[in-house]
Amino acid sequence: MEKKTIESMVGVLDARMNRQLKQYMDICARCAICKDACHQYVATGDMKYLPARRAELLRQIYRKYFTKAGQFMPALYEAREPDENLIDELYESTYACTGCRRCTYFCPFSIDTGWITAVSKGVLIAAGRGNEMLGQLADAALFKADNMDMFDSIIVDGFKDVERELREETGRDVAIPVDVAGADILYVALAGSHSIKPAAVIFDAAGASWTLSKFEAANYGFFFGDPAKAKLIADRFMNEAKRLGVKEVVITECGHAYRVAEMFYEAWAKEKMPFKVRHILEVIDDYIKDGRITVDPKAITQRVTYHDPCQIGRNGGIYEQPRDIVTAIAPDFVDMTPNRETQWCCGGGGGIVAMEEFNTVRLASGGKKVEQIRATGATILACPCENCRLQIEELDKVHDLGLRIVPVMELVAEALVPKK
Amino acid sequence: MDWFSYLTSGIGVYVALVVFTGGMAWRVWQWSRTPRSPVRLALYPKPKTGSARFGKLLVDTFVAPQSFRIAPAVMIAAMLFHLAALAAFFGHLRLVHEFDPLVGWLGEGGMNTFAAWSGGAAGIIMMAAILYWLGRRTFGAFKNLSVPEDYLLLVLLLGIVVMGNHLRFVGGLHADTYRAWFQSLLALNPSFPADMAGRGEIWALDWHMLFVDAFLIYFPFSKLTHAIGAFATNLVRSGE
Repeated sequence: MEKKTIESMVGVLDARMNRQLKQYMDICARCAICKDACHQYVATGDMKYLPARRAELLRQIYRKYFTKAGQFMPALYEAREPDENLIDELYESTYACTGCRRCTYFCPFSIDTGWITAVSKGVLIAAGRGNEMLGQLADAALFKADNMDMFDSIIVDGFKDVERELREETGRDVAIPVDVAGADILYVALAGSHSIKPAAVIFDAAGASWTLSKFEAANYGFFFGDPAKAKLIADRFMNEAKRLGVKEVVITECGHAYRVAEMFYEAWAKEKMPFKVRHILEVIDDYIKDGRITVDPKAITQRVTYHDPCQIGRNGGIYEQPRDIVTAIAPDFVDMTPNRETQWCCGGGGGIVAMEEFNTVRLASGGKKVEQIRATGATILACPCENCRLQIEELDKVHDLGLRIVPVMELVAEALVPKK
Repeated sequence: MDWFSYLTSGIGVYVALVVFTGGMAWRVWQWSRTPRSPVRLALYPKPKTGSARFGKLLVDTFVAPQSFRIAPAVMIAAMLFHLAALAAFFGHLRLVHEFDPLVGWLGEGGMNTFAAWSGGAAGIIMMAAILYWLGRRTFGAFKNLSVPEDYLLLVLLLGIVVMGNHLRFVGGLHADTYRAWFQSLLALNPSFPADMAGRGEIWALDWHMLFVDAFLIYFPFSKLTHAIGAFATNLVRSGE
């Protein structure tokens, strides 16, 4: 490997070094308690998917370039200069990681493999081995932001089409407001009308003051492993929110987008935002509890279960609001076991659903989720994350689960009782 | 003291303590001067009050209940080892000063019996745990995860414990004799007392101390810094 490339990789690791990462690098006991926590390792038994091994690959570089002990006695720590073999394994183990942090939860030292792999992705990008598909998707999002003059009318026309669809489906005029200065809420949806329509119906029923973002919440810069691009992608709707002067940014049912906006963005932007960030299910839960919308408590007659997306639950702290919503409209609700902070990752996070090369491990790693869903006997899965839904829809086909997999807000829209 | 005794049970102890203390301070300083992650690496749920968060940090670090749930065998071995090591550490404080209240309560004979049983149990538990870990690393599926550092630490620990057990189970010297040696260390004039002269325990003590010295010297440069670092990393569960 060329010296310049190695310097670039080491430079990225240096730039991304912080106290937590340094401690993760220094203190891991390699006890492998994480082995039973990782859905990919449990499914495959392949060492490269063992969380401690994922970290160990980055640690080999860290030991070599950031510790005197590693430089003095490299063999003792297996400190090494990166070569193609190391990069190949690092690529496989890093981009396969869904960042669910279930291993972090069970680790006696809370070592954050999700954070370690995020840094490893930066190192891989410096080595010219960033995932191409994720990089292209991130660049496409930035291209849209840089060329809004070209896209603006297309986007607004698309929203008019969604209004027409809603009129046909509901028989009511539900407006999709765009560019409304002074609205209370900027709702950030995903590409496609499925994340707009139910939210629009609910906002309309609640009499909410809202406006729809012209930008989608998904952030492939985050999945790619480039915080600078991730920030620029999030800038699109954060700047829109500032321009419109909204009181809150509400993120649609998308796990990583919520975490980026709520947990990461202010630190990346180095400024306090003049609005709060909430997940759409927090808002809907409030609407139901405050009586702003009325739902039929027996609207959903089939058995329903709920999947805690890792980025919303374990990593986002939203456990109860979705359950409160679902139990308010579906009397036959059965939780999965385990659930909440020990919920199994479905296997679809971290951008892995966009990378075909990981299809085999991705589908195999959904085995635990399939077992969990089967055990509930549910025919409806409420799932507030797009990547989880895409993964579980595929698992549903492969394992013939006979499930209807829906966003929580879609169930709420179905259960809405029209105001008299 | 011959040269080997002086190296291991004399001057080596001072060197080890200086390197251990300085090394750990250096490690903590290194961590503290590295900026914290600007983004929130949070795990949920979190306790709401400050005291509950502090309590959770202590439980997470000292007990790690979530790790027990997923890997009970490893965690039982780890917990037994750490408790036995703590007991052995406290037992060694007898070398600084006799536990007079305990002697007053148990009597001299009772104290000796208690020390023999508790010290012996701690030594056996530690040895069993170390052998379990060595076996797990050497013959288990995780051999490829292990690096030479892992084996070095286990070998050093095994050496400490085996020689300690030898002094406990085979040696015939009373704690008073070792205390006299230890007091000479504290007085910065290391020497063996007269009743150790020519005794076979000296080589076992020297080897015990060689492993202890090496272990303490290596400690700050090893993964064993989790002894301090785990408090900081476990904050992710209780703080922001």
